[in-house]
Amino acid sequence: MKTFEENWTAWLDDKLTGQELIEFESALPDKAAAEAEKRGAHQLGALLKRELVAPALTNEDFFHHQLRERIAREEAGPVRERGESVSTWWTIRRLFWTGATSLALFFICAVFVMRQKDPTEQSQYLSQILNAHVDPAVAPNATISMFESKENRVTVLWTEGLKSLPSDYAAK
Amino acid sequence: MQRRLMLATACLALLTSVSPTYGRGFLDDLLHPLAPAHKKSSSKPAASHSGEIVWSGLVMADNVEKPQVIPAELARIEPTLKELFGYNQFEVIGQSRKTLMNGQEDWLASSKHFALHVDAQGPSEGGYIVNLKLMQRDSTEPPTDQLVLETATKLSKRSPLVIKGPQIGNGQLLLVLVVQ
Repeated sequence: MKTFEENWTAWLDDKLTGQELIEFESALPDKAAAEAEKRGAHQLGALLKRELVAPALTNEDFFHHQLRERIAREEAGPVRERGESVSTWWTIRRLFWTGATSLALFFICAVFVMRQKDPTEQSQYLSQILNAHVDPAVAPNATISMFESKENRVTVLWTEGLKSLPSDYAAK
Repeated sequence: MQRRLMLATACLALLTSVSPTYGRGFLDDLLHPLAPAHKKSSSKPAASHSGEIVWSGLVMADNVEKPQVIPAELARIEPTLKELFGYNQFEVIGQSRKTLMNGQEDWLASSKHFALHVDAQGPSEGGYIVNLKLMQRDSTEPPTDQLVLETATKLSKRSPLVIKGPQIGNGQLLLVLVVQ
């Protein structure tokens, strides 16, 4: 048993025939108004068919490419889902080897740097005598030596052979 | 491929930080945390040293029965002075205390017969380059100044400098410089 809406749609499309058509048209309350509506629907249908045309694709190849890619991805997808591992570069193993290699390089360079340091090099913490001399006119036989007392980091310039002076030279 | 390139770059960066080629590397900093960074400090040497005080003194070392209390400036190095020179009293007969602003200053520490002329030549690694001249003034008429000793020194702020001067009577003249 068709509903009224189904019969109405079929009547608009001229699909009702025979006894069905007679029964439906006799059931219409205002047949003239229904006929007018039917004509309007036909005119609207003709207008839409005339005006609504599917646009032509200007970049057909691009869409084909996109579609092929998408199909390929979707076909590959289920394989991954089955449990096959996805390869990433930073696996635990590679991370371990990278760390070990870096540490090895670090220690090689550490040894290199430590060997480069001259063990006899004077510490920067100590004062250094760059040069020294005694006026030969005052003390022709004077000698100079220098050393460091590590205890208090005292740098000493030691002179020998300077002329001795009387005690009044100690005056303030 | 891109990640391997990143790893290679990281290794290169590590090597560069370790390498001493361009001054102190990371490793050098690690191994010598207290060492002053000469390359870094040399770029702004005056700023890092400004305001430091250099005490310079003419010290008369002597052996006496009742030694005086050692001056505060020499207290830290008293054991070394006693051990090296064998005296029990150290008396300051002339001194000067100079605040360095740009490390180029010069000053004088003098007594009646001696003058220690200090001419700072500017900051260096962890200290100052100073030229020292010990002048002796004799009591002649007219008084004459005589250069006794001349030296160029890199004075470190952590390391006092002691110069053994001439013997005077039973004692010894010492020249002491301390960055305070």
